[in-house]
Amino acid sequence: MPRVRVISRNFMEMVAGLPPAKLDLLYKRHWTCQAVLRSLPPLAKLYVMRLLYVEEAVPSKSLQDWALPDAQQKHQVAINRMEKLRVILVERKKEVCYRMNPVMQKQLLQALSISKGPPRDVMPGNVAVRLPTPAELDTYAMKQWESVLLQLVSSASSEAPIVSPNFFVIDMFKLAGLLLSLKPNSAPSITDTGFQFLLMDTNSQLWQLVQVYVSAAEDRGTDSGELIGFLLELGFHTVGEAYSVGALTTPLQKVLEELAALGLVQLQKGMKEQWYIPTKLASNLSASLSESSDMQSSEVLGTQGCIVVETNFRVYAYTASKLQTEILRRFARLEYQLPNLVVGALTKESINTAFSSGISAEQIITYLSKHAHPHVAKRMPVVPETVSDQIRLWESDRNRVELLSAYFYDDFPSTEVYETVLNHARSIGGLLWEDASNRRLVVREELHGDMRLFIRRQSGAAGQRG
Amino acid sequence: MSSAMSAARSDDVSAVVILLDVNPYFWGTKTSTGFTFEQFFQHVLVFINCILLLSHLNQVTVIAMGASACTFLYDSAAIDGTASGRSKRDKQPESRSTTITQKLQEFVKKDEAAETNLAPVENQFSNLSGSLSMALCYIQRILRKPTAPPQPRILCVQGFPDAPQQYIAVMNSIFSAQRCSVPIDACIVGSQHSAFLQQASHITGGIYMKPPQPEGLFQYLMMVFATDLYSRQFLQLPRSAGVDFRASCFCHKRTIDMGFVCSVCLSIFCKHHKACSTCGANFNVKKGGQKRKQPSS
Repeated sequence: MPRVRVISRNFMEMVAGLPPAKLDLLYKRHWTCQAVLRSLPPLAKLYVMRLLYVEEAVPSKSLQDWALPDAQQKHQVAINRMEKLRVILVERKKEVCYRMNPVMQKQLLQALSISKGPPRDVMPGNVAVRLPTPAELDTYAMKQWESVLLQLVSSASSEAPIVSPNFFVIDMFKLAGLLLSLKPNSAPSITDTGFQFLLMDTNSQLWQLVQVYVSAAEDRGTDSGELIGFLLELGFHTVGEAYSVGALTTPLQKVLEELAALGLVQLQKGMKEQWYIPTKLASNLSASLSESSDMQSSEVLGTQGCIVVETNFRVYAYTASKLQTEILRRFARLEYQLPNLVVGALTKESINTAFSSGISAEQIITYLSKHAHPHVAKRMPVVPETVSDQIRLWESDRNRVELLSAYFYDDFPSTEVYETVLNHARSIGGLLWEDASNRRLVVREELHGDMRLFIRRQSGAAGQRG
Repeated sequence: MSSAMSAARSDDVSAVVILLDVNPYFWGTKTSTGFTFEQFFQHVLVFINCILLLSHLNQVTVIAMGASACTFLYDSAAIDGTASGRSKRDKQPESRSTTITQKLQEFVKKDEAAETNLAPVENQFSNLSGSLSMALCYIQRILRKPTAPPQPRILCVQGFPDAPQQYIAVMNSIFSAQRCSVPIDACIVGSQHSAFLQQASHITGGIYMKPPQPEGLFQYLMMVFATDLYSRQFLQLPRSAGVDFRASCFCHKRTIDMGFVCSVCLSIFCKHHKACSTCGANFNVKKGGQKRKQPSS
């Protein structure tokens, strides 16, 4: 899914936007170094590896020789990216030279030679920790995440709220522009972006929220550098192991509570201590940082798809989840709801409502195929062609009429003048409509100035009207 | 199939199967360049760490090829799977290098015991064919997994020269690797070029290299063999100067420039035989010629 890439790349863009001193501070921990390394484009990763044991500055010419002549563009992208993230530092002597960031270089070398253990100490086994089983943890993460999304959905439906509002989450949604309060103190309502957000896959959704969260961190009194460092590091924790909360700094402890609301970690309280258990959501977060992880994004939580689409436009969803039902309601007419099954139909009206809230046909089709029932998922194509084609047709129906601002000219004194003006309009590519028998024509708005001058020059006897 | 594979090569996730030559006949005698097995092993260990560092989805599998046998030393996918299991919780997880070293020691002991039962000439060669087939079987398993597979490739770090008696088995492995579009990279740390591996990397589109200074093995590994299949489209990599295409005969396993080829099954022989030993086709020239003429007359 390219969207994950775009969003996660935005996140790295944000990291790159940190002031150099903060970045260097970030690179003091080898976990963040590794996370940053993994987020680089493939070529850049290899360059880092090649430069890792080089202590001198390398002239940019010799770096350029590494890439094939056809791939210079990719090479430049990689170099720029590394420069931005201060993975390599530029030195200008006689010629441009690159040197690896010594802080990062040292950390990476260390990481390589001692090979990895978990970044923080696992809680010792003698402390009475009842760890959840992987399945339990997954359900927990999924439930947490669903309740987050339900916050969004519940504000979309006019009925009584499905879940009690969590203000932290709602604030996040507002900051992300997914929710909008029309009046202060009134219940926020979902925006167009919010609708599109619902159809994204979990990873992109998570990334978008995390991004908002980090950019809002400074206002909430957390150091964004520290927060980013922790988020990057979280990906290296072992899923399902308990880590002590006490080992973290106080601001990070507060952060943990908020991350728990998103389902990234599970918090547990013991007699004296408190510990947190990262869930799969957390490990996937950093996983999707690397540019090449589209493959995993589809099954972040190991959620099984449940949707069957038939050629007669009927949609069956074997689910009891409120969220799934609500999302389906966005573009399908629900017909009946049984305890574990929702039956709906894709109709022109229902799809059109979706379009009017900014959802595209492609988004609907990807959603349907991504969440297909395992029995259907094996089939090619997952969504019957008749259905997907029809959805696309409906979309193009909406786009059939294109509105352009234009000027209408008439009352030409003679056919000759009309002809020359017509030819002129045609040659500058602004002619939209002509009617030779009545000597009328319509030209794009932005060319009006040009047209007016031209017509004026044509014996000055031309009439025009806006 | 190949088009599907190349289309999938839009990311740099890779599964590397490393075949390590741990043949004592090679490492024991080799003192001239001063490159010891210990150094060699260190270089490879750090290289493994590097590959795993590049992406969390990368997989590394290490297969040791000894004189008589070969075995799996390490599989990153399997280790990670058990480490997250509950049972190991109380123990501090062992570091990767200790695991590999322990496995290697076990293997060398077993290999030694097995060797004594074999004829001395037979067992001096490294078991390339066996480890190649093992690697391919393993890759088949990766490819058949329902989740989108990483790009598999084989890296063969060989020291001992080719074993002529393995010719057929190695060639078969090479062609099956070609069929599953698995490139075979070869890094020769020994003094002689390997014709088998030259052909292997030529046929499968891998990289063949014999580092002029084996002591700097790590740098060669990093510069050349760490390159994933995706990035290979964009980087300058060493091209093989020439490939020794000579085949070995099936009868005496000798490398030959010119020989006899069975017209039925394409078996190669260094001498003329009356019948093909592989498929049993009769090569009696006079009779054959007459037979061919009979229908036309």
